[in-house]
Amino acid sequence: MARRRTRGSNRSRRKRVRKSFPWFRLLLVLLLVFAGYVAWLDYQVTSQFDGKRWSLPARVYARPLELYAGRVLTADQFASELRALNYRSVSSVQQGGQYSRNREVFHVTSRPFDFWDGEEPARNLRVTFSGSNIVALEDRSTGKPLSLARLDPVLVGSFYPAHNEDRVLLKLEEVPVSLTNALIAIEDRNFYRHHGVSPLAILRAMWANVRARGVVQGGSTLTQQLVKNFFLTNERSLVRKLNEAIMAVLLELHYSKDEILEAYLNEVYLAQDGQRSINGFGLASYFYFDRPLSELSVEQYALLVGLVKGPSYYNPWKHPDRARERRNLVLDIMAQLQLLEPEQAVRAKSQQLSIGSSGRKAINTFPAFLELVRRQLQTDYRDEDITSEGLSIFTTLDPQVQWALEESLEQRLAEIEAARGSQRGKLEGAAVVTSVQGGEVLAVAGGRSPKFAGFNRALDASRQVGSLLKPAVYLTALEQPDRYTLATLLDDSPLTWKARNGDVWEPQNYDKENHGQVPLYLALAHSYNVSTARLGLELGVDAVIRTLRRMGVEGKLNPYPSLLLGATEMTPIQVTRMYQTYASGGFDTPLRAITAVLAADKAPLQRYPLNVRAAIKPEYAHLITTAMMYAVRIGTGQAIYHVLPADRNVAGKTGTTDDLRDSWFAGFTGDRLGVVWIGRDDNQSTGLTGSTGALRVWRDLFAHFDDSSWMQTATDGIEYQWIDPVSGLLADSFCPDAVQLPFITGSAPQQYAACAQGSVLPEAVDWFKELFR
Amino acid sequence: MIRIFGLRAYAGVAVVLTALQACAPNVYYPPRGERIPPPVVEQGTQGPVVSPAPRPPEVIAPQPMPAPRAQPPAVLALLDTAERQANAGDLESAAASLERAIRIDPRNAVLWYHLATVRLSQGDAQAAEQLATKSTSLAPGNSVQQARNWQLIARARAAQNDVKGAAAAEQRARELSRQ
Repeated sequence: MARRRTRGSNRSRRKRVRKSFPWFRLLLVLLLVFAGYVAWLDYQVTSQFDGKRWSLPARVYARPLELYAGRVLTADQFASELRALNYRSVSSVQQGGQYSRNREVFHVTSRPFDFWDGEEPARNLRVTFSGSNIVALEDRSTGKPLSLARLDPVLVGSFYPAHNEDRVLLKLEEVPVSLTNALIAIEDRNFYRHHGVSPLAILRAMWANVRARGVVQGGSTLTQQLVKNFFLTNERSLVRKLNEAIMAVLLELHYSKDEILEAYLNEVYLAQDGQRSINGFGLASYFYFDRPLSELSVEQYALLVGLVKGPSYYNPWKHPDRARERRNLVLDIMAQLQLLEPEQAVRAKSQQLSIGSSGRKAINTFPAFLELVRRQLQTDYRDEDITSEGLSIFTTLDPQVQWALEESLEQRLAEIEAARGSQRGKLEGAAVVTSVQGGEVLAVAGGRSPKFAGFNRALDASRQVGSLLKPAVYLTALEQPDRYTLATLLDDSPLTWKARNGDVWEPQNYDKENHGQVPLYLALAHSYNVSTARLGLELGVDAVIRTLRRMGVEGKLNPYPSLLLGATEMTPIQVTRMYQTYASGGFDTPLRAITAVLAADKAPLQRYPLNVRAAIKPEYAHLITTAMMYAVRIGTGQAIYHVLPADRNVAGKTGTTDDLRDSWFAGFTGDRLGVVWIGRDDNQSTGLTGSTGALRVWRDLFAHFDDSSWMQTATDGIEYQWIDPVSGLLADSFCPDAVQLPFITGSAPQQYAACAQGSVLPEAVDWFKELFR
Repeated sequence: MIRIFGLRAYAGVAVVLTALQACAPNVYYPPRGERIPPPVVEQGTQGPVVSPAPRPPEVIAPQPMPAPRAQPPAVLALLDTAERQANAGDLESAAASLERAIRIDPRNAVLWYHLATVRLSQGDAQAAEQLATKSTSLAPGNSVQQARNWQLIARARAAQNDVKGAAAAEQRARELSRQ
């Protein structure tokens, strides 16, 4: 019976099988297709998750502030740097990123930071100021003096990829446990128990939604949310929901809970800042609170976790009440789950939202400087590497100088326009500031509105340089010490020069006068055109061009006599390179805006080393810079000393072009070189000379700093002699306006001036003293 | 482990060297805060007399240096670090530390000399020669430092197969050592 039934059933099954065979095949095919589909999804999930998960913008940092006893820095400048770093001012310093100030004494706990040359640990510092100096630097933990410490650098900007996603990548261990606890409590309580999807959660959500007659809860696990953000579009459909579930399960199969959580923390969308989307808790912390995640309090974590549900609906600036309610709900749940002590929760709920400044954040604080950085990077990196590889770029930007520059330029231009009653906003300006010996670019202004990332005049405005070129003519002469010294008399009488083609050139002085015989150093100091032109023609235009090339001047230089008076165009940054050679005592020093680049994993990628090239012999640099000091002391640049202290030596040169179209000043102290240009974009007259325009901006800028005096470098092979400036001959105590000038040893004049009566200075003074004893 | 240079020992020497500069006749570091006014002319009965004795308002004049300049502790600390890094073979970090020190004390000839040494060890003889030249320009009257720089230049030139140039630099170093 059993056998028969079996046989019969076998037969009937065979029959049925034969009958239903196409269905089976279809099912098989479907299964195969499905398996293939899952395999494809699996491939998608693993390849994307394993490979580069995010394109990370490059982060650009200012120079770190170095602290050491003896450093020139005021307490207020220090405080402004701490504010730029978003250190919190507190009464008693408890943790990193906080400081307290008692007049000139600061307690600071710095943040640790990965530099090119290794990690700078967090330090407990006591910094004591007096006047414009740091007078003591101590470790508060040990009470011992510290020789050197550096703060974390100010983040000044980022280079974003085209789709404008931004995040600060965090490792799971860097994320505070109370934040992850709160997140799991609110978004996916079963996170550590489910396998990607949580049917229970879906049921619970459905029940909650039915009760509330609307969608109040989503049943998605963190894994599903991550999959949705990571791989899928925002479309709402059953297919997408299915894909999401399958991929979530696949993700859980391949990766640990911690890996998934870490990815979630970095991926979740938390805000929109104009074009830029803010992803991940790392960046959201900066976006909402201006400080790193590790420095937040529990109610701030709660707010961030609450925002996951709807960053725009709960936007704490636009809807503070909603945001507070949501935050407090998170805190209640945390208390319920005993993640918080009840009294902690009560205290946290009573706190303000304590969010940072509202509105759109300026992504790139100093666009003109960043443009220079980007151009220097582009010589070594591809665009997509700059915007997606998460590079850390360490620059030479000094925020103190940059702020002072922006303020000086903006205010001075407004003042000039107001004083002259001219049309507002027509004047434009640009400037570059560098360190004198290292050629490091400290600040760049590309226009009078510092936040406007438009036409960068510092890098791209090619303008006539006028008298800024003159020192190169004089240097060419001084390099022939047997023919020219600082005391050589130059002829400033009217000059008519005929070119071979019959063209006639008759250069005029700015004051339309001629000054007869003028010693060389005064001709430069007063910027006389006629004597300069005559000197340049004597030397030959080609010789001057060769000098300019040695000084790092690139680009086209027309070999016409008008070049001698600056009829050639340069950008402010090119002028800076040229003046860097004078300022550094004769060394052409390529301008650097970047010091080093780190990869995303903080591995050193590249360093931009300090290089110099001897361009002018130091003795000749000594001579030409002496004349440039006279230009500032008694020549066209003397308005500097209406503001700067008289004991600060500055060397420099004004520049003015035809019809007052361009106003330039290039000058340097012992620490910094600054080049300022003022003009109009339509190249019309500004009505300004170098002295009434650009020099004023330079002066305002340098009044911010207690720079050291410009000092000569090489003195070997140099001797000083007293000279009578009228005749250019040796002077003694009977010559009224005698000056002491440097000469290449043996090149000084041998003859005494008419005013001299053969006395030797020190003896004369002794004799005089005797007489009146 | 390559011992590139005895930085620590040399930093001490540098202090002595800078102290020695005090005796060098033609080095003048104008003291800050002291304004030297341009010469004022007074009309006396004896005719025009310059009073006080005219002094240059802003230039280096042959006068003794007011006080020996010690290396600041921050610079010494970085020299120490650079030495450690160089001895561990991490020349690029040593260079970075020296550049950091130069940022703090840019006119310190000793720092430029050490940077030149590191560059030479890295095989960049051209850069080394230039940096040593820079060091010399910052060490007027300091024949010990200058001699060291010329020795380094001789090595850098030899590394670039410039035999004649190397010999000339060697000669220069010997002359300076004799001073």
